[in-house]
Amino acid sequence: MKTTLKLTSSVFKMFVRNRQALFFTLFMPVLIMTIFGLIGFDRVPKTKVGLVAENPTPATQQFIEQIKNISAFEVTLGKLDDEQTALSKGERAVVIQIPNALIPDPAAKKVPTKQTVTILQNIGQAQQAQTAISVISQLLDKTRLAITQAPDIFQLEIKDTNARNAKYIDFLLPGIVAMSIMQMAVFSVAFVFADYKEKGILKRLIATPMKPRQFVTAQVIVRLFVALVQTAILMAIGIMAYHAQVIGSYPLVFLISVLGGIMFLGLGFTISGLAKTVEAVPAIANLIVFPMLFLSGVFFPTTAMPEWLQHVVNYLPLTHFATALREVMGDGAGWVAIAHHIYWMAGWAVILVGLSVFTFGFEEKRV
Amino acid sequence: MTEIIRVKNLTKKYGDFIAVDNISFSVKTGETFGILGPNGAGKTTTLEMIEGLKSLNAGEIYLDEKNVQEKPHEVKAVIGVQLQASSFFDGLNLKELLETFAALYDRKVDALGLLKSVELDDKWKSQVKQLSGGQKQRLSIAVGLVNDPKVLFLDEPTTGLDPQARRNMWDLITKIKKQGKTIVLTTHYMEEAEVLCDRIAIMDHAKIMVLDTPINLLRNAGVGTSITFRVDKQCTVEHFQKLPAVEKAVQEDHGYRLISSNPELTLPALFKHESDCSFRLFDLQLQQATLEDVFLKLTGKKLRE
Repeated sequence: MKTTLKLTSSVFKMFVRNRQALFFTLFMPVLIMTIFGLIGFDRVPKTKVGLVAENPTPATQQFIEQIKNISAFEVTLGKLDDEQTALSKGERAVVIQIPNALIPDPAAKKVPTKQTVTILQNIGQAQQAQTAISVISQLLDKTRLAITQAPDIFQLEIKDTNARNAKYIDFLLPGIVAMSIMQMAVFSVAFVFADYKEKGILKRLIATPMKPRQFVTAQVIVRLFVALVQTAILMAIGIMAYHAQVIGSYPLVFLISVLGGIMFLGLGFTISGLAKTVEAVPAIANLIVFPMLFLSGVFFPTTAMPEWLQHVVNYLPLTHFATALREVMGDGAGWVAIAHHIYWMAGWAVILVGLSVFTFGFEEKRV
Repeated sequence: MTEIIRVKNLTKKYGDFIAVDNISFSVKTGETFGILGPNGAGKTTTLEMIEGLKSLNAGEIYLDEKNVQEKPHEVKAVIGVQLQASSFFDGLNLKELLETFAALYDRKVDALGLLKSVELDDKWKSQVKQLSGGQKQRLSIAVGLVNDPKVLFLDEPTTGLDPQARRNMWDLITKIKKQGKTIVLTTHYMEEAEVLCDRIAIMDHAKIMVLDTPINLLRNAGVGTSITFRVDKQCTVEHFQKLPAVEKAVQEDHGYRLISSNPELTLPALFKHESDCSFRLFDLQLQQATLEDVFLKLTGKKLRE
């Protein structure tokens, strides 16, 4: 016990003095969060609208101003040729040609003639074009009503309601926490132990009366502690810098982090057992970790994936880790609501730790 | 003198390859025991079996009256080990490193004192990667001493060191020897074995060819001392051949070379012959045989080929 404690404190010192390990465990996740936060997947891109009106009458000009003020539009005024070129380059969703005398002069008391608004739509951005077209036709309807003074028989009443709107950062934060714990557990263990084995350090250790499990225990304790620190720091940055909302139970979040840590430490030890040299570690580890990173819904929801892929994804350990964290942090889910994720994680932990017992050993596995 | 290590019929195989073939020997308390041999002779394998790092295929080993196979942890507690080309953790300074290793033996250590004894006390804040080759080997010995072991095993302690660092290492080992510790070392340097060891086992092809004190090895191997000289007059080789204890006499470029099994007998007779036949000897040289010659004679090959 005393030996394990002393080892733990030594291992801790080694971990925090290893700049590379610190970079990957703390700095990288924060960097990734910052980059994705800056990209801002929340913001709906504005629809680009080109307006062509050669010499509008004051009434028409007023109408054009109304279009310009629509917040979902980014309006450019230009000549027909220029706007058409821009459209063909994909820089406009629609180009609207407005006749000079579209809107009749309210002072002139004669029956207005029929005016044609031509809209060129970009089929490549059909969805945005459609939105633009319906907005324009609504605007025209409203104007017609005003001019013909027909009775308005419908009324829309819109009330503001305060809703907890899940922002992208709320989706991203739990994913980043899961990702960084996975990276830390897999890479720090796999690299360090492959290195120790290659340099003969493990052999030197078993030349002492120490039991291998004491050394492994010390390494595991330090890394689980690091996992907790990662969770705390990333949550703090997410909340303070990016205004993420964490409404679930913190103890449950930390508990899931530890379970995820155990699961991926098992993977780390398995890989260090499989790798014959330090050089083999990144090859094996990335082969497993990299696809999981993009398939497990760390950065984007898995719902956008084809259905067959979603079935595969639902087996991955990282999926359950990230989802459990997300449901607790974002939805305030309790123990019962995430139980099946916990079972999956526990199952993976048993499998991966079991595998590591087979592949990982202090002694060189020679014939 | 009691025997602290007893090795009986030790055998180690890797598949069809026999690394250690049925060897037996014992090491006395307080002596420095050398295992000498070329690369691949089985020295390291033998050492690692005694240290409890490798399993045996046959035979038994007792260290400090404990069976190594049955009680490896008890044996490991009383020995200190320097592995061939072993390195240590990065991220700890030398003091922390020694304290960590002491904890593995469940003891405390005066780390600075120990570092001083291997002349690394001014380096205690450094990390292992900042040390030179010789310093690393000295550290390795310090780590081997953290548990105040009864037996210290050194596997090729000076391989890869420059001559100056090698001399320093010899001084250090001699100092440890004077503290009364039993030392078992392997080497493929003859000179090292001669300087440091009380007894030497010469290993080749998984077997011990011969085991004795360095002096007896030289005496019994029949290698003889070579006496070279020049003369001012022409002499016949046959006359020198007849001198007592001379095994061989040859005429060389500028003089003669006699191989004597006992120069104490040969030299007076040679001087008498000089005055009898009235010629003058000059450039007389006496060359002691070395273990290199012994090895060459035993195996028919040079040690480092």
